[in-house]
Amino acid sequence: METDVLIIGAGPAGLTAAVETASRGLDVTIVEESLSMGGQLIQQTQVLGSLPSFYQPKRGFELAQRLRKLVEDTSVRCLLGHRVIGFYKDGSVGISDEANVFPLKAKKIIVATGAAEKAIAFPKWTLPGIMTIGAAQTLLNRDFVLPGKHAVIIGTSDFAMDVALQLSEGGVQVKAMVEKSQTVLARDTEKVNQVSKMGIPVHVNSSIKEARGIGRVEEIDIEQREQIMTIPLDTVCVDGGRSPILDVFYQLECSFGYQRELGGWIPQYNPFFRTDREDVFLAGNAAGVSSQGVLLVTGIIAGINASESLGALSKEEAEIKTTSLWKEIETLETKLDPDVWNARIRHVQNYEHPVLTDQFIS
Amino acid sequence: MDKTTIICRCEEISYEEIEDVISIGARRFDDVKRLTRCGMGPCQSKICSSLVAEIIHDKTGLPFPEIPLPRMRMPISPIKIGTLTTNSTTFSSVKSVLDEVELEDGKVK
Repeated sequence: METDVLIIGAGPAGLTAAVETASRGLDVTIVEESLSMGGQLIQQTQVLGSLPSFYQPKRGFELAQRLRKLVEDTSVRCLLGHRVIGFYKDGSVGISDEANVFPLKAKKIIVATGAAEKAIAFPKWTLPGIMTIGAAQTLLNRDFVLPGKHAVIIGTSDFAMDVALQLSEGGVQVKAMVEKSQTVLARDTEKVNQVSKMGIPVHVNSSIKEARGIGRVEEIDIEQREQIMTIPLDTVCVDGGRSPILDVFYQLECSFGYQRELGGWIPQYNPFFRTDREDVFLAGNAAGVSSQGVLLVTGIIAGINASESLGALSKEEAEIKTTSLWKEIETLETKLDPDVWNARIRHVQNYEHPVLTDQFIS
Repeated sequence: MDKTTIICRCEEISYEEIEDVISIGARRFDDVKRLTRCGMGPCQSKICSSLVAEIIHDKTGLPFPEIPLPRMRMPISPIKIGTLTTNSTTFSSVKSVLDEVELEDGKVK
């Protein structure tokens, strides 16, 4: 199988990249491991506040529907339920449909593999009933299954606030939110107020000491100023933040740089969202963890510049569009968190000075 | 942290075991992996790599940009050997672990 542009991942960034490339007449293939398009947007029932200026405010799943419709109106080949498992010696991508593995030759690759949630370790954190906050949201909003009846949330990010509200509305009693810092991390004060109106207590300067239970979690100990508070429950949702998924970049021998604010290690890339490999672009959370609005814009930039590299768009036009889209990222990301935007600028400036270029030492 | 806390769920490696190998010189995820089997189970370090980096940082003071990523090998996620070989007339061209080993005079460099 051959294609002009292979896009890995059908989340918000992969889908906007697909629309940008396919609408310019290129042959585009998306490979997506799940059976539906939209990535993590599918279970976001909250209104997404910080979308690009050319989008109306929408709930996550509504945005997913809209992007899916846009992609379906083009001639994009969607390989749902397919995974990239590695690369052949000649550079073809090894794709599996779970029955076979076949090679796909792509002129350009846009990697939009997203981010994965990070764990927080404490004694007995491996007990059933203890899960990441994203897993709890997926159970509730996508699978329509209540993760439990009585929950505690570890973390107070904006996302943790969203999920706390959704769990409460779904009938889960959120007994507490626990934050190790001195203040709540969420920046959306309206949401923090909603959480307190729901009667959910938020404990700052606190951390989880241990969980207990036979066969599943039954209670946890929260430590606050050397005092221990024991809470009986059946669900613990842990928000450890997210970090970019990098396996594909590693296999492609891309170089990496470290930016804490963007999720840790991320591939090096230039202002055109191209990695240090001429044929590999990237987009979305894989290029640094950010808000959904920013993810959409990075997908557009990667799509435009992949199109330019295949001659489907003039260099001048691509540069003009890219510059104005970077302004959009600046607006959205500064509003989200100026530190994230500064890290992104630093990262792109570091493009000429990669940190990890040769780590293939056995 | 409590020493018995599990860090690698797949291989059931505790905080104490990781602390021990750091005390004898482990400074990156792959050092810890080779000494303890941490990260060698089904998830291939997808869950524990950031936890281990944090422990290395806490114990040695090494800044995060100096704690490299674990090596990520083909296949990117678990796949049945049967699936990997089906329909493949060019199986030998799949990038294998052996491709990464450099030989000198018939011996591994």
